[in-house]
Amino acid sequence: MLRLIKLEWSKFSKNTIIVLLFIFFILFFPASLYIGKLMPDLPSFLPGREIFFNFPTVWEYLGYAGNWTVFFFLGVLVIYTVTIEVNNKTMRQSIINGLSRNEFFASKMINIVLLSTFATLFYCILSLGVGFINGENESLSSAFDNDYAIPRFFLMSFSYMNFAIFLALIFRKSGIAVFLYLTYVMIIEMILRWVVHMKIDNSELINYYPMNVTEDLMPFPFLRYADFIQNNEIEFPILLTTQEAVLATLAYSFLFLSISYITFMRRDI
Amino acid sequence: MEVLRINEISKNYGSIKALDGLSLTVENGQVLGILGPNGSGKTTTLGIILGILRPNHGNFTWFENRYHGKHKLHIGSILETPNFLPYLNADDNLDIVRQIKKIDKQNFDELLDMVKLRQRRKSPFKTYSLGMKQRLAIAATLIGDPQVVIFDEPTNGLDPEGIAEVRSTLKDIANQGKTVIMASHILDEVEKICSHVAILKKGKLLATGPVGSILSNDMTLEISAVNMDALIGFLRSNPMIKSFTKTESFLECIASDELDIAALNVNALEHDIRINHLVSRKRRLEEEFLEITGNEN
Repeated sequence: MLRLIKLEWSKFSKNTIIVLLFIFFILFFPASLYIGKLMPDLPSFLPGREIFFNFPTVWEYLGYAGNWTVFFFLGVLVIYTVTIEVNNKTMRQSIINGLSRNEFFASKMINIVLLSTFATLFYCILSLGVGFINGENESLSSAFDNDYAIPRFFLMSFSYMNFAIFLALIFRKSGIAVFLYLTYVMIIEMILRWVVHMKIDNSELINYYPMNVTEDLMPFPFLRYADFIQNNEIEFPILLTTQEAVLATLAYSFLFLSISYITFMRRDI
Repeated sequence: MEVLRINEISKNYGSIKALDGLSLTVENGQVLGILGPNGSGKTTTLGIILGILRPNHGNFTWFENRYHGKHKLHIGSILETPNFLPYLNADDNLDIVRQIKKIDKQNFDELLDMVKLRQRRKSPFKTYSLGMKQRLAIAATLIGDPQVVIFDEPTNGLDPEGIAEVRSTLKDIANQGKTVIMASHILDEVEKICSHVAILKKGKLLATGPVGSILSNDMTLEISAVNMDALIGFLRSNPMIKSFTKTESFLECIASDELDIAALNVNALEHDIRINHLVSRKRRLEEEFLEITGNEN
């Protein structure tokens, strides 16, 4: 495994796009704290916005910020780790040189596990740092009383990047894969859920789309309260419970990973 | 020892049959040229034996299965184009190959000297000329001193100087006693470098064997005389003349290389046939090739 990690490092540590995407992730993730500071006052039945920077809400707030930054920067980054190799035919050459297809696939999976681990660690450090700086006399146990936010964040990161790898391996061209990845998550799935699906079936099933279940692992804090103000057309909660989101994300991750693997093993390279 | 055995391999791209039941054996130390026109299935054959294309039927065995699926660590190969990461320099790109081949860290001085790239080793691959790229690819195939090296159209797209350089490098490699498999549509290249040849057409193997046995030693004779009819009769009676065709101004004959041309000339004069044009040349490989592949155009 160490050999595959070293190999990926040799390939990509000098690639400008990949290094920039990684740096942007590190910069933009904490920068989301400023957005919290700038946010308008919350409705009066909720606590003041400083709650975003206190335990346990800081976990949810930064989790939601991570939802966007991991999706965007790390998702696009892992697409490039595949499509650069397709474009330059180094994927093909690696197999010719003696890397097995299994090893090549594993190296990309190791990438996303390592990036998910890194993102989760970064998230922990940020959340703990912000929580301790803004809270008063917080104990370590209260700091970690966060409803499994850490494994949720890891799973969310893995799920986004796994979906990104899936698109990259299926479509192979960076332009198409990146475009589909961004538009699917931000636009296409929304249309499928709220326009197409809604017309056919106005039920909770609308929440079980692959990227929505991933997003619901780390929703915007207090969004649940939006249930009080939802319009009458929707007769179900707009968010999945943590348990539902975890199970559905695991199922989709398994599905995408399996399709990626089977396709990659069978196809000509 | 048998290095490679291909059994009845077929490969279709949709309705197009790229390979049709190809079988071939390569022995240790052979320098095999896979010869065929464009689209005859050369690259598809190499793609399959290197594991990047899946055959529809048939199978192949490397090194009599001695390496249990790890055979590619003992093979160096380029397929079609040199494939490297454009933003990395020669050293970094070669190091990636080294890591894949599970070889200890090394400097590539000797390899880069051989392909004359030492001066440019720190320049990114994307700044290289086509010839330099091809030479770097050849260097990469030699990392870890593989038993077998495979080249696909190694001189494609190169200028004359580049072709000469690459050919001389290939000869050096062949002289080291390695098994070499080389696909090419250039007969001259195969004849100059290879010991054995396999001729493909439309995915089928037409002929295989040592270069001398497949590409014959016959010569071509251009001959004309004042009395052409008498000449034709005279040539018909000579067993060394295998066949001839009439062109506008002379007869083009295929003759055994044992034919004594001076004696032929004297003999003709004795028969009162005055030869006014006589040119012998080694039979062009193209002619040989066209005859084998049955292409008359």
